[in-house]
Amino acid sequence: MSTLDIKDLHVSVTDDENGEGQEILKGVNLSMSTGEIHAIMGPNGTGKSTLSQAIMGNSAYKVTQGDILLDGKSILELPVDERARLGLFLAMQYPAEIPGVTNVEFMRAAINARRDEDKQIPVMDFIKKLEEKQNILDMTDEMSERYLNEGFSGGEKKRNEILQLLMIEPKFAILDEIDSGLDIDALKVVSRGVNSMRGDNFGSLIITHYQRLLNYIVPDQVHVMMDGRIVKSGGPELAKKLEDEGYAGLRDDLHLDVKLTDEI
Amino acid sequence: MRANLIDKYKDDVISFSKSKSEPDWYQKVRLDSLAKADELSLPKYEKINYRSWRLDRPGKIDADVEIGADNKPQALNYIYQAGDKTISTNLEKDLSDKGVILTDIFSAMNDYPELMQKYFMTKVTKTTDNKLTALNAAFLNSGVFLYVPKGVRITKSIQAMFIQDNSVERDFVHHVLIVAEEDSDVTYLENLVSKGTGHKNKANIVVEVIAADNSRVHFSALDELSKDTTTYLNRRGCTGNNARLDWAIGFMNDGDVIGDFGTDLLGEGSHTEAKVVAITTGDQVQGIDTKVTNYGKHTIGHILQHGVILQKSTLTFNGVGHIVKGARGSDAQQESRVLMLSRKARGDANPILLIDENDVTAGHAASVGRVNEDQMYYLMSRGIDEKTAQRLVIRGFLSSVISEIPEKDVRTSLTQMIERKLVNGQQ
Repeated sequence: MSTLDIKDLHVSVTDDENGEGQEILKGVNLSMSTGEIHAIMGPNGTGKSTLSQAIMGNSAYKVTQGDILLDGKSILELPVDERARLGLFLAMQYPAEIPGVTNVEFMRAAINARRDEDKQIPVMDFIKKLEEKQNILDMTDEMSERYLNEGFSGGEKKRNEILQLLMIEPKFAILDEIDSGLDIDALKVVSRGVNSMRGDNFGSLIITHYQRLLNYIVPDQVHVMMDGRIVKSGGPELAKKLEDEGYAGLRDDLHLDVKLTDEI
Repeated sequence: MRANLIDKYKDDVISFSKSKSEPDWYQKVRLDSLAKADELSLPKYEKINYRSWRLDRPGKIDADVEIGADNKPQALNYIYQAGDKTISTNLEKDLSDKGVILTDIFSAMNDYPELMQKYFMTKVTKTTDNKLTALNAAFLNSGVFLYVPKGVRITKSIQAMFIQDNSVERDFVHHVLIVAEEDSDVTYLENLVSKGTGHKNKANIVVEVIAADNSRVHFSALDELSKDTTTYLNRRGCTGNNARLDWAIGFMNDGDVIGDFGTDLLGEGSHTEAKVVAITTGDQVQGIDTKVTNYGKHTIGHILQHGVILQKSTLTFNGVGHIVKGARGSDAQQESRVLMLSRKARGDANPILLIDENDVTAGHAASVGRVNEDQMYYLMSRGIDEKTAQRLVIRGFLSSVISEIPEKDVRTSLTQMIERKLVNGQQ
């Protein structure tokens, strides 16, 4: 079993205009183990994506206080590629497009980056695995032969993120709004992919606005974030309650003094 | 004062010409060019200074070149040369029956004197253009003539492999002449490779492409001259009415090289796409000047140059788009981009638009920048280390030319060449 612990995490980003640091995360605490699926919900602008980027190690997000521990060891000093090789994966909201590099080639490079020089994945094993995972996601060879994310629709990009997840098989996957821009059929396909990973050796942190995704990927725990902190945690029923009452309702219940970005 | 070139080299040139049993007309071209070279100046390129390379001082032109391992192209139609020797050549019978000619330049002078005298340095590049083109004609010691008669459309590509040898002291003075007559169609790929070490040599290479009315010529090149070879590489073409001439050039040399590329769009409605990718490493200097001139009405000229600079090297791209008065309805577009991977590298991308006609469209984009951070982050977030990720992003940046190469195995070798150059440059 592996563990991922976020302790009193404070994260700042630098404002492009005035160059000043702005604190986005103001003390996040979260512990999870493989075998568990956690969901983080919250209104816009509350720091959900910042949390995912900070865990992965995006250098634009500066940790000013607190720690991130994988299996008890701090990963704060590690660059993004080392974190990935240790077992972290981030399915991104806006994956980059890389022309000239095919999907297949990229996934082989990613898998082989985790293996020794003399133990690279045999081509046949790779192809077999790719076909199996493509089938789960209703994807074709044609998509894998295309250049990485180039010219992909929003839905295709999301599906491709999940394909990479299934191929790489990380310990912990953070899914950053993997449901945004997906129609109901695509949402089911993506959920099927994530559910196929469920098991003792896999944990996931699912970031979403909407409860809908959680009908298909049922979480063990739900956390609500507001203004850079986790303000409430509970079981799947918490997500349903939010769907009924909205974030403003929860905020008022908790007597929080937080302005929601989209509040009129 | 230095002796005149003509006085100093006349005897050498005549004896070399005799050793190749050249016809009198070409010996005269040599001597006339040699005399003219004394008066002509080196070509000038914006922001590229190469005077100290001494490309105007000829070295030895005659020496035995060793024939090394067999490197012949994996193609049905090909010519394979090492130095001045043609090792093997093949042309499908069907094509030779139709009058297609693929032969070495010396045979062409004797066997096809009318064609050679009509086209050799008369339509595109002239012996009088500059000192280096004059020296190319005067000291010529290898080359190829490819002729595609009227109406002949060649579906399979024609490939050429040229070996330049640094195990002996010998200039590589090379000339390729490609003539595509009316309504013809040809795809040509050439690969310039250095072999051997021990001597520093100069190369003076001129390629001329004549694309007559309604013809289509696709020209690809993979250039891999070594760090011991200092080179002037001139590849230019001209187009007839509604002709199409496209260039895809992989500039992967390790030495100092000047590239002078481009097309004169003479015929109405003709079109050229000139794409160049380059990588520079070590302390080498590569300067590339790609110039397209729209003479004919409704002509289209596009230039795309992408380059990567590593270590202490220098790469300069000039893109020159010139629309002359009267070329109404023409279009000149260009994009030159340079990625700098080192603080000690020097790079430049200069767009130059010269527009002498009102009713035209023209545009340019140029940039000198660093590797895209979002792309790097994305690749590294999948566990790929920084250097590998950098190479993948760069390959993407250079893909505009890679994907343009018509043969899969040549595309693969360009990709491998890029990988090799980048790995060396990242050390």
